[in-house]
Amino acid sequence: MKIKNILKYLVVASLAIQLTACTETEVEQKFDATPTERLNARKTELQQVLPTSEFGWKAVYFTDNKQLGGFTHLFKFTPDGKVDMASDFNTDTKIYTSDYGIQLGSTVSLVFTTKNRIHLLSDSNPAAAPTAALVGKGYLGDFQFLYYGQENGELIFKTNRNGQEVRFAKATAQDWTDLPKNFLMIPNVIGRNVYGANRGLEIIDGTTKKTYDFNPFTTITRFTNYTNATEVNGLGIGYSPTGIVVSPAITVGEQKLSNFVYNSTNGSFTATGTNGVSASIKYSDTPFVISDDYKNFAPGQPQKVVGYIAPNLTAAQSNSVLCRTLLDKINAGLPATQSIARVQVIFNNAVNGTYIQYLFNGGKATITHFVTTKVNDTNKTIVLTDAGWTHNAATIAILKDIDAQLTNPDGLYIKKEAFTIVASNKIYTLANASNNGFRITAYQL
Amino acid sequence: MKIVNTYKKIAVFVGVLTLASCAHEDQPTESQLDFNQPLRTELDKWIDTNYLVPYNINAQYKWNQNTVDNTRFLFPPTLDKVQPALEIVKQIWLASYATVGGADFVKKIAPREIVLVGGVNSNSNGTRTLGIAEGGQRITLFEVDNINKKNRAIVAEFIHTIQHEYVHILNQNKPFDEQAWGKITPSGYTATWHLETTAASRELGFITNYARANAVEDFAETASIILISTKAEYAAILASITSAKGRADIQRKEAIVVQYFKDAFNMDFYALRDEAEKNTTYVINN
Repeated sequence: MKIKNILKYLVVASLAIQLTACTETEVEQKFDATPTERLNARKTELQQVLPTSEFGWKAVYFTDNKQLGGFTHLFKFTPDGKVDMASDFNTDTKIYTSDYGIQLGSTVSLVFTTKNRIHLLSDSNPAAAPTAALVGKGYLGDFQFLYYGQENGELIFKTNRNGQEVRFAKATAQDWTDLPKNFLMIPNVIGRNVYGANRGLEIIDGTTKKTYDFNPFTTITRFTNYTNATEVNGLGIGYSPTGIVVSPAITVGEQKLSNFVYNSTNGSFTATGTNGVSASIKYSDTPFVISDDYKNFAPGQPQKVVGYIAPNLTAAQSNSVLCRTLLDKINAGLPATQSIARVQVIFNNAVNGTYIQYLFNGGKATITHFVTTKVNDTNKTIVLTDAGWTHNAATIAILKDIDAQLTNPDGLYIKKEAFTIVASNKIYTLANASNNGFRITAYQL
Repeated sequence: MKIVNTYKKIAVFVGVLTLASCAHEDQPTESQLDFNQPLRTELDKWIDTNYLVPYNINAQYKWNQNTVDNTRFLFPPTLDKVQPALEIVKQIWLASYATVGGADFVKKIAPREIVLVGGVNSNSNGTRTLGIAEGGQRITLFEVDNINKKNRAIVAEFIHTIQHEYVHILNQNKPFDEQAWGKITPSGYTATWHLETTAASRELGFITNYARANAVEDFAETASIILISTKAEYAAILASITSAKGRADIQRKEAIVVQYFKDAFNMDFYALRDEAEKNTTYVINN
């Protein structure tokens, strides 16, 4: 029976093979083509589309919109692997030629394989770092862009390094000739407060309105933020001949606003959506954000001192035109060797209560104006009322105008700002609550 | 026997089934791979003629993320800088070794790939990495965009990088006696070498501050500094050291380097230095 057993096992084994040998090995195709075919198709698609745009492509590249702004690049690709490029990274907006390649990595990617303007964003030379935190990292730029297809005629890429989306839109002849004009927009982004004592961002969604402070803009990083009492929103800015491009886009409902047009009559930048949606960076003598910070200066609170100090704060954008005029007027009334050094308010001093102090350079004695304080919780203001000077009327005459602003009967808005100037001290602004355009910048001392 | 016959029949049937059942197979179609040769520029042809054909070395100047450190912010060289950089490398390094070590020397022991990077490679401690030698196979040279053939200081720094990295490649092929080396100045090595000056390091028996990183770097620095200096310049370096022990220690290291080149590669190190100096002068004047 031994041979019979062997044969039995053989039959069982054979049948087992029969049952498994012809198992369907074909994987169900979820796509029309194999991965290789699809990758090759993508590669061919990108290879073919790049040289097709007559005037090339334009991309505003935001390398990291949490801390840096956008840099406009223009590309003109030729089928033989060459690319003409210009950028507004710096004022050298000339066109340079280099190589590009289509490489396969994690997916099909466009790589700028020899140096051109876009590589300026990836310069780890410490001297090229925009901020101390970015030493050795340059502008966090990339030049290998993973291809994610097309949408509305735009090419969609994501950077290899950190997955930032970069879109290439078809460029025009004018884009190339107008590139240097981007730099003419910088003074407008920095802003001029001749248009109002406060600069804010106003977002209108049909009928409702949200307002923020639009804080001073740093050209080296092309970055700023907009804030209210609870939010701090970073905003990267790219320049265009007619305005700015921002990232992250301002989101209003379903709409994303990123292209702002400059209006030279009032210094505003406005992005307009549909159905009454808009966002506007603009000036006003009325504050965009009124804070509760005045409460810390109310009677009974611990001593707090805030002071305007020349020259650190002389050029602050948050000094309104009226404020500057009045400071200049004081200096004009002084001998050439003297000037105003400080205007500071000491709140709730244990001995002397609250008083305004005027300090001078050039040996002139300090002048003090004692005041009483009263808060107005409805208007969120603090009102300073005259309680006598240390000097006679003739001596204080020179200070009367600026003092009248600080002691005006409507009181002062006192707000802690989201930015610093020169020193690390917190910045406060004191504004005339009658919204007449007086706003002075002070350090917390 | 009947049952055996039955089994036989079943076995034959199963066998036929096995052979016939999977007969249908898709035939392979044409390859999906792209065999198109990339366009070759004049520069590519120059590299072929001067590096690939004579030395079997690939000089890569176009960006390839697989040959660089993607955590660093680096960028490829400007096209105009590639050939001058490679000419310097060829004239001062390859030609010098070929003359002294024999025509085949660098063909046998050479990196198979030279990668050129245009920008600075910054380290978190504020130092710059000028070159990297990896696995005896690849040398990466940074700051190629700064190349200026007419500036001896820049050429010297660039060549210093190549000589330094090539000594690493040689060491990676034939190790030197690290233990004997380490005993000469055992206490001077430090991870914070970048905080030390070269002058102070020489007093302690190190040719540069970087030599204090470890024995391997010390060897490469000692050899490469001698190679990029003229005989007189090197004598001046030794003469500038006030500590007799420091000077003697550097000379003991020099002797190990000379012996290493003799034993490992049968090469006269001083003849190599003289040849490199001759070629450096040639590069700067042409």
